[in-house]
Amino acid sequence: MAHAGTLEIKDLNKQYTVKGEPLPVLENISLSIKPGEFVSIVGSSGCGKSTLLRLVIGLEEDYQGEILLDGKRIVGTSLDRGIVFQEHRLFPWLNVEQNVSVGLLNAGLSDAAKKKSVQEHIELVGLKGFETAYPYQLSGGMSQRVAIARALVNRPEVLLLDEPFGALDALTRAHLQQELQRIWEAEGITAILVTHDVEEAVYLGDRVVVMQPRPGRIKRIVDVPLARSRDRGSYAFSQIKDDVLSEFSDAPREELINPQETLGANWQFAW
Amino acid sequence: MSSFNSATASLSLQDADVAVPRSTGQPTLAARLLGAWQAAWPTLRRFLLAWPFPLAIFALWSAAAHFEWVAPQVLPSPETVFNTFGDLFNSGELRTNGVISFNRVVSGFAIGASSGLLLGVLMGLSPTFKDYVYPIFRAFAQVPSLGWLPLLMMLVGIDEALKIILVAKAALVPVALNTLKGIEGVPTRYIEVAKVYGFNQWQLLVRVVFPAAFPMIWNGVRYGLTHSWLALVAVELLASSEGLGFLIVYGRQLYQMDVVMAAVVVVGAVGFVLDKVLATIETRLLRWRHDAF
Repeated sequence: MAHAGTLEIKDLNKQYTVKGEPLPVLENISLSIKPGEFVSIVGSSGCGKSTLLRLVIGLEEDYQGEILLDGKRIVGTSLDRGIVFQEHRLFPWLNVEQNVSVGLLNAGLSDAAKKKSVQEHIELVGLKGFETAYPYQLSGGMSQRVAIARALVNRPEVLLLDEPFGALDALTRAHLQQELQRIWEAEGITAILVTHDVEEAVYLGDRVVVMQPRPGRIKRIVDVPLARSRDRGSYAFSQIKDDVLSEFSDAPREELINPQETLGANWQFAW
Repeated sequence: MSSFNSATASLSLQDADVAVPRSTGQPTLAARLLGAWQAAWPTLRRFLLAWPFPLAIFALWSAAAHFEWVAPQVLPSPETVFNTFGDLFNSGELRTNGVISFNRVVSGFAIGASSGLLLGVLMGLSPTFKDYVYPIFRAFAQVPSLGWLPLLMMLVGIDEALKIILVAKAALVPVALNTLKGIEGVPTRYIEVAKVYGFNQWQLLVRVVFPAAFPMIWNGVRYGLTHSWLALVAVELLASSEGLGFLIVYGRQLYQMDVVMAAVVVVGAVGFVLDKVLATIETRLLRWRHDAF
């Protein structure tokens, strides 16, 4: 079993420069994630949630503040952090087995150990029998399973998921959410899921971090103290889901609820 | 595909997202025949559609020769051309000249394609190198191969070197350009995956950049070979005493249009076969690209 990592984000600020002007994307993000915890991050598009994930994985640098994994500042990418992107990003010229092995290329294991780990993870994501299939032969959901296997195969401490099911149909998505929960429990890994699907966030997260845009900030953190596997139809589940959703619905302006009667407003010409 | 099917058959997994091709018992003979027909039809259709146009031209040619719409010295009948072809073949003239042309194109193409590949890779990988070389390369590429002929004749004479250099140049340009475009077009999303898994520069190059750029590079190789062949025949027309191109000029000088036409047909056929060979290699190497484009 992998060692689950502790992730600490302290006063994180990130800005891009657009036409010479600084454009803040993330402002004062502080978040502490316990080993083995599953944290969901929800927000509308443009709230910087994907940028946050790219900073944690190490594909983006140049930020203020600190991102610490087990107390050590992260520098660049590393095999102790795995990621599943929104698109599966499998190499089309490699088959399932070879694609999963990509995760182990620089893992420093013996060939036999690599082979074993690859096989285990293909089985973990339920694709036994598809080892020699090429990506073009797989459905979207299967491809994303392979991507999950590739991210987990070198047993990272943290698994990052960047809207991993966003491009899948609703049935497949619900099913893969269940699968992801099973895999997460089996691996005992720390996981961060970025999504714009509130139900997905509540279903999977121990905590749901709600972000708001321009610049990206943490608006609220909602605990989800429900036992797993969670029942999406239960009252407690819907209550938490509604609570999170309420963060996105700004209270409508007064004049929209009680429009002012202005002279002639109810008049109109009859043509 | 069959190994893939047998793998799925042994699978008990029936998830919503796992597309298991289910077989509904034994299909009837009629259904299987229909299936085979549906699978074969697109290929058959393409094959059938390729014929009417050439056959119409052939019929027109036969009619023109038969009714002497054009003087027979200028347009010999298909029959004459066919007989001349037989004579040329039996006398060994066709083979000797064909082999000479073939050897020239192979050696010139090998030199041109490999240096084009090197140039394309260097330009694709090093922006600095590209900044140095690309503008002059583009200018060089704009001059057709034959535009260099007079100058080259002065420099290297009209021997083999002339032909090899021009054939190599004809291959170099498309190979280098396509290699450059292929490498520049490698999707960032793949490079990021390589970065996440800690690939070093060499691993990135061999395991991501080349496979991703390969379809484009191979396209360049195919263009390159076609261009090489065209350039060679053109050079042989202008400055040679052997080869298929020379056979065409020779026939024209003796006013033997049947020789000219027989040689033209052979030139076309060789070019077609060369490209077909590369296309076959391509489908073998790029099986993963199946239906992807």
